Amino acid sequence: MTAVDPETRIPDPIDLDRGEEARLRAAAGLAPPSAAAGSEYAGFELVGVPDRPLQTEREREMYTLEEGEMLLNMGPQHPSTHGVLRLVVKIRGEMVTDLDPVFGYLHRGIEKLCENATYTTVLTYVDPMDYLASMHNEHAPAIAFEKLFGIQAPRRAEYIRALVVELNRVFSHGLMIGFLALDMGGLTPILYSFINRDDVVELLAAISGQRMLFNFFRVGGVNWDVNDEFLSRLGTWHGTVMKSIGDNEKLITENEIFKGRTRGMGILSGKQAIAYGVTGPNLRASGVPFDVRKAHPYSIYDELEFDVITQQSGDVYARYLQRIDEIKQSLHLIDQIMDKMPHGPVQAQVPGIIRPKPGRAYGAVESPRGLYSVYAISDGGPTPYRFRMRDPSFISLQVMPMLMPGHLIADTMAIMASLDPVMGGVDK
Amino acid sequence: MDFSLLLGLGRFVLATTLLLLLTIPTAFVVIQLELKVIALMQLRLGPNRVGPRGLFQSTIHGFKVLAKEDTVPDQADRATFTLAPWMVYMAAAMSMLVIPFAPGFVAADFNIGVVYFFAILGLSVVGLLVAGWSSYNKYSLLGGLRSAAQMVSYEIPLTLSVVGVVLLTGSLSFSQIIAHQLAHGWNVWWQLLGFPIFFIASTAEINRAPFDLVEADSEIVAGPFTEYSGMRFGFFFFAEYVALFIMSAILVTLFFGGYLAPWPFPAQLGGFIGILYGLLWFFAKTYFFIFVAIWMRTTLPRIRVDQLMGVAWKVLLPLSLINLFLTAIAVVAFKL
Amino acid sequence: MRLLVERFPETARDLWTDEDTVEVQLPRDAVVETLRTLRDDPEFGFFMLADAAAVDYGIGHHFEVVYHLFSDRHPAWLRVRVPVERANPRTPSVTSLWTGAMFHEREMYDMMGIVFEGNRDLRRIYMSPDYRSFPQRKDFLLPDDAADSSAAGVNPLERPETWDLTTFSRELTSSAATYPPPDTQVDVPAEAYPHGQESADKSRPA
Repeated sequence: MTAVDPETRIPDPIDLDRGEEARLRAAAGLAPPSAAAGSEYAGFELVGVPDRPLQTEREREMYTLEEGEMLLNMGPQHPSTHGVLRLVVKIRGEMVTDLDPVFGYLHRGIEKLCENATYTTVLTYVDPMDYLASMHNEHAPAIAFEKLFGIQAPRRAEYIRALVVELNRVFSHGLMIGFLALDMGGLTPILYSFINRDDVVELLAAISGQRMLFNFFRVGGVNWDVNDEFLSRLGTWHGTVMKSIGDNEKLITENEIFKGRTRGMGILSGKQAIAYGVTGPNLRASGVPFDVRKAHPYSIYDELEFDVITQQSGDVYARYLQRIDEIKQSLHLIDQIMDKMPHGPVQAQVPGIIRPKPGRAYGAVESPRGLYSVYAISDGGPTPYRFRMRDPSFISLQVMPMLMPGHLIADTMAIMASLDPVMGGVDK
Repeated sequence: MDFSLLLGLGRFVLATTLLLLLTIPTAFVVIQLELKVIALMQLRLGPNRVGPRGLFQSTIHGFKVLAKEDTVPDQADRATFTLAPWMVYMAAAMSMLVIPFAPGFVAADFNIGVVYFFAILGLSVVGLLVAGWSSYNKYSLLGGLRSAAQMVSYEIPLTLSVVGVVLLTGSLSFSQIIAHQLAHGWNVWWQLLGFPIFFIASTAEINRAPFDLVEADSEIVAGPFTEYSGMRFGFFFFAEYVALFIMSAILVTLFFGGYLAPWPFPAQLGGFIGILYGLLWFFAKTYFFIFVAIWMRTTLPRIRVDQLMGVAWKVLLPLSLINLFLTAIAVVAFKL
Repeated sequence: MRLLVERFPETARDLWTDEDTVEVQLPRDAVVETLRTLRDDPEFGFFMLADAAAVDYGIGHHFEVVYHLFSDRHPAWLRVRVPVERANPRTPSVTSLWTGAMFHEREMYDMMGIVFEGNRDLRRIYMSPDYRSFPQRKDFLLPDDAADSSAAGVNPLERPETWDLTTFSRELTSSAATYPPPDTQVDVPAEAYPHGQESADKSRPA
């Protein structure tokens, strides 16, 4: 790298002199800074307007303030934006009139990384995307790559896959419940959720060796077979999990304050949800029975018995109940999987460096946040030519600007938490 | 120069100084209690490293804020920004003046103690509003305005529910109120509607969960305190816990007999023993209600700002008026 | 699949299928109309846009926008491939059909530089607004590639002065309100890498 010339150093926007700021503001069609002389708070409500020309129609609509409106910048450093989500909120008093989500603070370019990695190492790169559903992250590329290579994972491997993704779903949904309560000021449910998560994570660590980024799936199978520690932990956990979920339910479900703040909040109709690309529990809470496990059964889900759970009202409370129901359903699925698990190998014969035939493959799974899919193109080389991931929470966040107007600032957090975004996945 | 006046003045100065010095340890104890109780309710261990069984955790926190850098935002209004924590803290500390801890153990036994108490405690809203406005931060501004709306609204049912007690006892002096309870039993039995109103409104008045909208950390970061650091933040923080202690103490004094034991014997304990016995019951009852406040914080989610206003104006205000009428009728009818 | 051939004999080309995907290629002009039919016609019923991705087939080749559709009446995903010229990367937006295509299209614009006509919020979504390059194109060089090439230094697209906010805004204000400029630099000129042509051209035909 050549040394950076001090002349072309990036200027800190704060260092821009007043004249420059005035010119930028004029370019954006805004009032010049502090030209409205008099009050020292002049321009206070405008803090948050980007210091550059506004680019699009929507942006101009968002950043043009009417009398009495103010911009409030929530995030990327904010106690409850689930990481580094930034929401620019246009408020009138406490009432939200418009909202603009801003992403990219956690962008790592995982798609590009994966295009420069071999097929086997891709599965390690996708782990930290949606870091609360690492198993699902690995599942979709594994499916897509197996389609590309034309190989089939052994049946026991498919059962173990289904087992670990359902375990992952249980703790991911549990955490969503805790975060939803936390964003409403309830301090305790999140800790109960984390206790439950810790049990599951120890379980998954027993089978995969890692606690957070499991790196468990392989192209054509899984890394390890189930072992004794996993089985004994699973037995213990299965006996206590309903109690720990029940503790949380007792705290939240019938709580008057909780119900008062979630019922009728952020109502998303089924039609809107489909138009906005919302999938997963959020879509099912709006009454649309779409579940990839049923719609396009992958792995062994066509051999298991389960129904697609839906709620009707589509509000925050329905999305919460949906999570609770899906936890119970996942436990039921885990029972079935343990019952039916066949014997056999857990890994198909796969060469060290895989060079599939040129082709395209699409693999989709139902992650705890919705339709998580991978589109992989092979050109015959050892690395994927194009590797595209569709992260459900990224797409789900689009409904925020539509849901928010008319709600209060406090509801921003409740509605956002009910959509359950994970910024690692949103920013890829 | 009247000697007794000088003596009274000296006693007053001594008592206020002592009380002011007492507020900081009180805050430490309440904070420590909150840390530990919340931890146990959340199945955590809680503080267990600093001092024996972690007892000095909150003290260390207190010294930590002294050591931290004290920053003032560039565009903040420096004078009011500096003044605000002081106002909030003094409001809390000064209202401690009228609390009767034990028989004869009170800094200043005003004959208008109740009026003085609510007047001084109400001043803290000014401090919060000033802090919110002077910080040049939108979260602070929102928090300051929320605090103004919330505390002014809840002061009405709060004071109205106290008027019931005042009617019942016929005095504005806390020692008289306690003396009346010695004769007639605790006020809570005569104020079955007034007590819950006072309890809810006082929780809202001191910004405790589920009414902690002023510093709702998941919405507006820390409300008026967002831009404060170091000891200035410490003042707000201590004031909050001192206010929690004071509110519990006043609740106990007004409704639960203050330093009186729950049973009538021993009827009169004199001197030093009497003071100790009174202190025991006073602190036991006060810390019980502090525990209840912490319990509520662990259990309940935060209420929303429009629901908060709805509770104050649509529920508590009519109920406190009804309570007032019922008490007045009872006082006249039964010559209580 | 048979339905597709019957209904779109002239627009749909290159039908192809694998175990659970039906693939169809559409010309750019027919995208919106065809997708609308696919969505609204009860025979198709592809009511859900599962994914929208952009693919770069390298210098000298075209871009491609790929839509994946879901229908509850058909057992397969429908993959719609739309080739887009590299020199003029424009294609109509499908936000009129699925509002949720908005973020997909913003991401494709951010990463590949494909301009979606009719999208009312086409701006950067991951990279900062003053960023001027399109990272997922195959001619975007990573620092590793630059180190491999004999042309010293980093890719001109990554030069720090292009991040310069002042220069950037001056250029923008002078070129009026036509942001994004339709032909923001697309290709690395071959003469910029006299010795490193191979490493500059990482394209591989698919």
